[in-house]
Amino acid sequence: MELFVQQLINGLTIGAFYALVALGYTMVYGVLKLINFAHGDLFMWGAYLGWVALTFAIASLFENSVFVVVPAFIFVMFTVGLLGIVIERVAYRPLRNAGRLAPVISALGVAFILESIARNVFGASYKVYPPELLPSGGVGIVGDVRINYVQLALLLASVLLMAAIYAFVQFTRAGTAMRAVSLDHDTSRLMGINVDRIISIVFLIGPALGGIAGMMVGMYYGSFDFTLGWVFGLKAFIAAIMGGIGNIPGAMLGGFLLGIIETLGAGYVSPQWKDVIAYVILIVILIVRPTGLLGERVAEKL
Amino acid sequence: MFSGKRQTSTSFHIMSMVVLVVMLASLFGTAAFAEEPSGEPIKIGLQAPLTGDYAYEGKGFEQSIQLLVDQTNAAGGLLGRPVELVIDDDKGDPKEASLVADRLTTAGVVAVIGGYNSTATEPASEIYDEAGLLHITPSSTATRLTTKGFQRFFRTCFLDDRQALFAVDFMKDVLGVKKIGILHDNSTYAKGLADWTKTYLEEAGIEPAFFDAINPDDQDFTPTLTKIKGAGLEAIYFTGYHAQGGLLLKQSADVGLDVQWLMGNASNNPELITIAGLDKAKGTIVTTEPLPSDLPYPEAKAFIEAFSTAYGNPPASVWWVMAADAYNVIKNAIETTGSTDSETLATYLHNEFKDYPGITGSIIGFDEKGDRLGTIHKAYVIDDQGNFVVYGESTS
Amino acid sequence: MKSLRERDITVKPVWIYLALAVVSLLIPALMDKYWQSVAVLAGIYIILGLSLNVIVGYAGMFQLGHAAFYGIGAYTAAIINIHFGVPILWLIPVSAAVAGLFAFFLTRPIIHLRGDYLCIVTIAFGEIVRIALKNDIFGITGGPNGLSGIARPEIFGYAIKTPLQYYYLIWIFVVLSIFVIQRLENSRLGRAWNYVREDELAAEAMGVDTVKVKVAAFVIGSAGAGIAGLLYASRYRVIAPENFSFLESVIMFCIVVLGGTGSITGVFVGTFGMVVLPEIFRPLKDWRDAWLGVAMVVMMILRPAGLWPSRRLKLEIEDSADSALDEPAL
Repeated sequence: MELFVQQLINGLTIGAFYALVALGYTMVYGVLKLINFAHGDLFMWGAYLGWVALTFAIASLFENSVFVVVPAFIFVMFTVGLLGIVIERVAYRPLRNAGRLAPVISALGVAFILESIARNVFGASYKVYPPELLPSGGVGIVGDVRINYVQLALLLASVLLMAAIYAFVQFTRAGTAMRAVSLDHDTSRLMGINVDRIISIVFLIGPALGGIAGMMVGMYYGSFDFTLGWVFGLKAFIAAIMGGIGNIPGAMLGGFLLGIIETLGAGYVSPQWKDVIAYVILIVILIVRPTGLLGERVAEKL
Repeated sequence: MFSGKRQTSTSFHIMSMVVLVVMLASLFGTAAFAEEPSGEPIKIGLQAPLTGDYAYEGKGFEQSIQLLVDQTNAAGGLLGRPVELVIDDDKGDPKEASLVADRLTTAGVVAVIGGYNSTATEPASEIYDEAGLLHITPSSTATRLTTKGFQRFFRTCFLDDRQALFAVDFMKDVLGVKKIGILHDNSTYAKGLADWTKTYLEEAGIEPAFFDAINPDDQDFTPTLTKIKGAGLEAIYFTGYHAQGGLLLKQSADVGLDVQWLMGNASNNPELITIAGLDKAKGTIVTTEPLPSDLPYPEAKAFIEAFSTAYGNPPASVWWVMAADAYNVIKNAIETTGSTDSETLATYLHNEFKDYPGITGSIIGFDEKGDRLGTIHKAYVIDDQGNFVVYGESTS
Repeated sequence: MKSLRERDITVKPVWIYLALAVVSLLIPALMDKYWQSVAVLAGIYIILGLSLNVIVGYAGMFQLGHAAFYGIGAYTAAIINIHFGVPILWLIPVSAAVAGLFAFFLTRPIIHLRGDYLCIVTIAFGEIVRIALKNDIFGITGGPNGLSGIARPEIFGYAIKTPLQYYYLIWIFVVLSIFVIQRLENSRLGRAWNYVREDELAAEAMGVDTVKVKVAAFVIGSAGAGIAGLLYASRYRVIAPENFSFLESVIMFCIVVLGGTGSITGVFVGTFGMVVLPEIFRPLKDWRDAWLGVAMVVMMILRPAGLWPSRRLKLEIEDSADSALDEPAL
């Protein structure tokens, strides 16, 4: 039983990361109906930029205070967010009216570019986050079950971010505008919404979330390399679909669910097959609820 | 819907296609029909992962061999001719490796060194064999590679089964443990080593108490580690690569797993300690060919010094040094036989090449399958300062 | 009876085909071995592109897991050839059938999913197949090592070994594929695909069995990929799960879309762009992938319908300026 709870905690932590990245996918899909295949690489860039920020900050500015993390977070958020806006302007906006296939290719192209630049700029070896930065040790819960401080802090931070996003989308004007844009561009324009600006905001927030998640993953696992983006991106994408793409609470649910399924699958069945288990469950969910767990029901009969 | 502009767009369409095609054809044509300069230089091919998951090792190969090529040329060349290194990136991927092999076989090289990982070396070796080209791999240890009867394929590294045998003997004799687990990452190399370890363990009457694989694409191994914790092992042998090895060590402590960790020679890399953190890595045992810094031979010291001078750091991985030895073997063969014909070189290597003072120790010779004779595995333990220190001598 | 030309806009005048045939038969004989090998690989990707074109271009469905069927065909041929010694060429219908069967059973339950959901499911299939192959499922796939020792094709005892010989063998398959696909394009099934792609609801209303039609596209396309897999396996003699990764599916997808969705010529252009050009640009080394990415983005912005789209689809994309985001399918 303790084993199970421990695995659950592990699953929730990794699920939080998936959820953050999935949020980015889902928000972009909501307003553009585009699957941004480059999102995973933005996540990866977040990890790299976070590493740069922390290494630089520790070396020159702040010494070993844990609070160095906060400005680093902000730096990563804005830089990756900015990157997101640029990508949207350059690679996606011209293709708004070009059908469904062209933007996907463009997104894949952007993904290649981001990966290649990361590999060339940062090199092929693994980068390690400064370990002295993070408090080690943890809290015992029940018997052998432990949750360490880093896990706790990151889980908390993730949940806070998700709550903030949800509040933003539900209760602010911009958030409402976003929801309107995801329903229909033309009608939104008629209502006086600057669709282009809203889309840019989405591309600021979504990638920013992904970037933060990247930095958190870097901090949590300690090391990473440029292949990080691809795998994580795919998993997060699956999480978003599981919950119902375009659906914000769905992305969060999907993320946590995927994290737990994976961890339990690895722990109780086999690490080799855990991805297959997750994929199969995804397919089953889609067969039973074709638009994801929380997605709107679309009348497509068999 | 069918507006008049369809006319213009069609002819523009055709014209732009023609221009594009002509441009591309000329580019393509030049590339395809260009004559290879028939040469003065002796060309040696290097197939290595310069990008991709194993880029770290691939770059090291390039550095090692380029260094030796420069040294050779500075000393007057090979048979009086300059040596030229032709490098191609196989990305560690089997399909790319096949393309690289195709390219190298038509680039006029006399021999090929490479690839790094067995999955990339295997398809390439088929192509080199068909082209009759001498092929040496410094690091692909999967047993299957030399079972095909290729007469011109050699390795300067030692096979997985020798390392497995060493590991098993070490664990049961030196460490005296009985409850042993084996963990691999489902790659050609790691699984091979794991399977051999299991075989030898069973031959010694010990049934492995745990045998499973992690997924190297993952970052999070806590589920597996928690499972291992539940198995109550005394020792566990991880046969995968150092990046995952480091993560395993780090997360092992987080999960509260108390076990003696052993790792195979793909974890023989200082980055292992960086990734795991020193306090989590110390005490870990690594079975491997001797580290470059531990090689007592004068050739090794000279090479390490030259490498450090050229690149600012000593060679970090034993595979880079193996690659250097691969070059030395080829160089020796060419010099001794006075020929650059692959058949001649291969025959020499099989029959007359003996006791060559290599950087990785005396290369006793190659057997009829092309494998390097002897074995020099050692067990290293990571000490409190983060150094790899010798634990025990190889007995096999 | 109307001649082919009058009935259909995509069949070209005979002399064009003859000219292409002559050129494509003669040029490789003049190339060096390396470029002949590249030509062989291009041929395999053309077959893959043509088969994927049926699914993506004609029936209008997102398929980002095509490599799975490529792999199934390759492994089927490899396993039967290695264990039972059946000559490779006899296994062509077997590879096609096995791939097609897998396609049928895998897609039938999920065929009603909307475009983007279908997309993720195809990606998931691709990964499931790849991982299963890597984990040595049923003990016959050789694990991460894959399988080696696949035989070369033999015609009346004459083994096909050199790249040039392979080129001619593949040339025959490419020509056959083009022929079959053109027939399909202009058949009732082909027209049904058009209707389903353009407006699924209307198609249903007109009595088209959309499920059957869509599954048929997958089955036919996957069978073609299976044959390509067999050709790859016997050419390189070693296959491993990594040969059939998501990246491969992406390359095939790009070939179809970049080249020009729905058009046979487009597949040729796309293969040139995705397979041959990277070989020409080898000197770029570390930055090759970045330039490929740039090329993809630029291409799409300049010519969103692809370089040589089928005329039907080009008109569709130009028209879609009116109602891009409210489109249901795809």
